[in-house]
Amino acid sequence: MKVLKGSCLCGAVTFETTADPQGVSMCHCRQCRKQSGGIWSSAYVAFRDLQIRGDVQWFAASDAANRGSCPRCSSFLFWKAHDENTISFSLGAVDGPTGLTLEKHIFTADKGDYYTLADDVPQKP
Amino acid sequence: MTRGECLCGAVAFELEGELRPIYACHCTQCRKTSGHFWAATSVPDDAMTMTRQDGLQWYQSSATTRRGFCNQCGASLFWVPEGEGRTVVAAGSLDGETGLEIKAHVFVRDKGDYYRICDGLPHFEEFKGDEGA
Repeated sequence: MKVLKGSCLCGAVTFETTADPQGVSMCHCRQCRKQSGGIWSSAYVAFRDLQIRGDVQWFAASDAANRGSCPRCSSFLFWKAHDENTISFSLGAVDGPTGLTLEKHIFTADKGDYYTLADDVPQKP
Repeated sequence: MTRGECLCGAVAFELEGELRPIYACHCTQCRKTSGHFWAATSVPDDAMTMTRQDGLQWYQSSATTRRGFCNQCGASLFWVPEGEGRTVVAAGSLDGETGLEIKAHVFVRDKGDYYRICDGLPHFEEFKGDEGA
């Protein structure tokens, strides 16, 4: 069984899953750009399929979802919508190869002006 | 003047003068912190004014570098190499149109396996300074 593991920069928060991640995406929304400092990339699994260890700081940037980061090193790790039973995790935090392929750019209407999207991956405004 | 702030507004700042072009960093530290890759400009210390720093917290990310973030919303904001008199500022934190462009991708040896770099910009295995300047 393939185990995908991830950790924050300082190692205080780790996570793992044996599920097949879905929705491999890069998010260009203002909230993700602000929090990541650049662009956030993630994939999701069922909430029950992601084992998280360590203290996560959750921030509600909207009424719809919480954003999880490490309170010690600030690594942006998780995104959890209140009305969905899935959780998105940071692909940048994954240790070693992910074995995944980017499927979509989302919220591209909010993208920064300093970069272009030159790959052939589908874009959703 | 360029203004920037974190996601929740507990850290805000102003940058004076022309900003350095952006480098997109794909090193493991930047990928872990940001969740993908980190993109940033750089300003001398005297060109930067903190207008709100209620949430500002630092993480010592190596012997000579530290990362600044907001401890309320978690936003990644700054990277400071000690002794260089400058702050590297996350492009994502800048408000409105930045008018900036990415100059190069750096530390691409550490990039993730799930995306490709297709914008035709220079990329470097590492980063020793102001490559291509």
